[in-house]
Amino acid sequence: MRPRAIHQFHPALAAGDAVSNHVFALRELFRSWGYPSEAYAVEAKPAVKAEVLPYRRLFREASAEDLLILHFSIGSDVFDKLTNLPARQTLVYHNVTPSAYFEGVNPHAALHTRKGRAQLHALAKRVPFAIGVSGFNRRELVSAGFARTAVVPILIDWSRYDVVPDERVLARWRGPHTNILFVGRISPNKRQDELVRMLAYTRACVDRSARLFLVGAHEDQPQYRARVSALAAELGLADAVIFTGSVSESELAAYYGVASVFVSLSEHEGFAMPVLEAFRFRVPVIALDAGAVGETAGGAALLLGEKDIPLFGEMVGLLRERPALRERLVAAGERRLNDFSAANVAERTRAALELELSVAA
Amino acid sequence: MSQGHTSERAVDVDALVAEVKGRVRDKRARGVYGPDVDAALLRPLPGGPLASDQLEDALTSLSGAIDQEVAYDPRSRKGGLAGVPITFARRAVIWLIRWYLFEITSRQNHINALALRALRDLDARLPTEVLSRIAALENAKRVVDARENAQYLDYSRFAQRFGGLEGQVRRQAEQFMPYFAGRRRVLDVGSGRGTFLTLAQEVGVGAYGVDLSPQLVEQSRAQGLEVYQIDAEEHLRSLPDASLDGIFAVHFAEHVIPGHLFEILHECKRVLVPGSHCIMATPNPRTLTVGAHTFWLDPTHRKPLPPDAFQFYLQMSGFEPVTIQTYNASEQHLSEEGLDGIALANLRLLNETLFGDRDYAVIGMKP
Repeated sequence: MRPRAIHQFHPALAAGDAVSNHVFALRELFRSWGYPSEAYAVEAKPAVKAEVLPYRRLFREASAEDLLILHFSIGSDVFDKLTNLPARQTLVYHNVTPSAYFEGVNPHAALHTRKGRAQLHALAKRVPFAIGVSGFNRRELVSAGFARTAVVPILIDWSRYDVVPDERVLARWRGPHTNILFVGRISPNKRQDELVRMLAYTRACVDRSARLFLVGAHEDQPQYRARVSALAAELGLADAVIFTGSVSESELAAYYGVASVFVSLSEHEGFAMPVLEAFRFRVPVIALDAGAVGETAGGAALLLGEKDIPLFGEMVGLLRERPALRERLVAAGERRLNDFSAANVAERTRAALELELSVAA
Repeated sequence: MSQGHTSERAVDVDALVAEVKGRVRDKRARGVYGPDVDAALLRPLPGGPLASDQLEDALTSLSGAIDQEVAYDPRSRKGGLAGVPITFARRAVIWLIRWYLFEITSRQNHINALALRALRDLDARLPTEVLSRIAALENAKRVVDARENAQYLDYSRFAQRFGGLEGQVRRQAEQFMPYFAGRRRVLDVGSGRGTFLTLAQEVGVGAYGVDLSPQLVEQSRAQGLEVYQIDAEEHLRSLPDASLDGIFAVHFAEHVIPGHLFEILHECKRVLVPGSHCIMATPNPRTLTVGAHTFWLDPTHRKPLPPDAFQFYLQMSGFEPVTIQTYNASEQHLSEEGLDGIALANLRLLNETLFGDRDYAVIGMKP
């Protein structure tokens, strides 16, 4: 029996973050399949408030004929309540960063990630089916005890990137400099501190003009953000490291537009969306092969297995010297995007949910 | 996930890594990548390293972490007047429970100090105590091995005293040559003085040997023989399937324990081509003067192999047919002169039992 509706839940929904974008893109997909579909949250940021429903309504509205998709990236007591609902349930796992990255830096984040991991194990007993957005995530689902699992990547609304790059950003940063870009929340697992050290090497040994752009929100990690800034200052790089904070889509396009290269030293990624963004904006990628980075890049990035910082700095130089190498990587990146096209991921979503959509609750 | 769609690598990353490694080395050598850059790369994160990094060297990090002050700022982050009562309330609560907190922290500090001390003691004790015990065990094993192999026996003098005469050994080898007629790659396991190899050369059989004794290998090579100093089993394992057309091993099997012999026979079967032979000769313990006396002259002999048992081992390894051929008749025997009837029959049986052939060979064919 077909479900009556497919609804989704994530504790927080906002504009611009990867999980929220995924939720909204899936909602459109489910609606296009003819299902009523809504997104529910505990907290909806102002920009999306109008299109998100408060989660409490689920207790009144969800019936046994509905399919409820729980997006999991952080622990919340609400999950325990929702699993008591009569609706069929599927979990989509976006990964929870190991708490060790936050101990001593951000006690709040350490507490929540620790709770999140514990809760994932508890949910394994109550939610029959779970989807990882990467093979890396799926392996964590299996070891958490989920019986039935699948991999379906994030559904990306690529039209969001068809914007005119912000002229102010372009005008300010365009030029002959080596612009090293990393996009992602400022967070200890993403190791922006190591990127600062890499910049120190690059400026000393490869190109004096190199600059590092750290594009991403830092409101949630003020302590780590302050320490990375302090490190840059101690190394005399205060002016060469640019923290942009959260950016609009056109600003994001502009930062990719001025980037010579995208470098990731992140140690833990559940999907690594910015790697695909770099492919979309034709920026070559050099990355530490950690978490899901390698499988998402799929051979179209320069992946290094060990974090040997001078090698990353020299790779940056190599890419600057060799336009042909850069072009090969960029072309491979563009080819790789086909695997994440809306049509491909929609089909994979349908295939993964086939059983949930056909069997009676 | 979508792995496989773009499975081919866009660029040869290994080659690029090798290239940039070269650049780093070069910059080191030229002083471009000097101590100042090292210092920058090793610069700790202000405020202390990340907990995730500390896990790499937990014990060292632990002592630093224990001494760290707990920094907590009770001031509210809410701006304006709203923050004032919150800050006040927090300070008041902290003041009220300060002695309770002090009790907890002082006990926790005590436990931390004990735990750190215990871990350090374990860390210090492990290497010395455990390693010395492991070393003692290894040493004991070496002593046992040395004794089992009679390492301190001068084997060349032993061979002079108890080994067979060259001519005799040669005549014994000759009887097996028909099995190798026309063969091109026969292995002599434990080729010794090269008697069999010389014989093979003379009759136009292609053969080579392996032996563990460096002197004997040297000696054989000086005679123009193809001999390698390598463990026989190791050599057999290194050979591809069906790469030999004969194996000859005289007085080899009694030097290994039967369990090991099975493994070697299995390898022999594997490396032989169909229709070729594996011949292994060993002292014949069925002759009591051998089984009870001469077999035990050599301290490196492990266990006597009864002919029917050895035959069975080859059959189990897949050789078919497997025949037994005894040779090297005893020089002594009891005189049968003037006897007949039952007495003669009994004496013959006694002669056979005491003074039968001193060696035998099992001859197996790879089907």
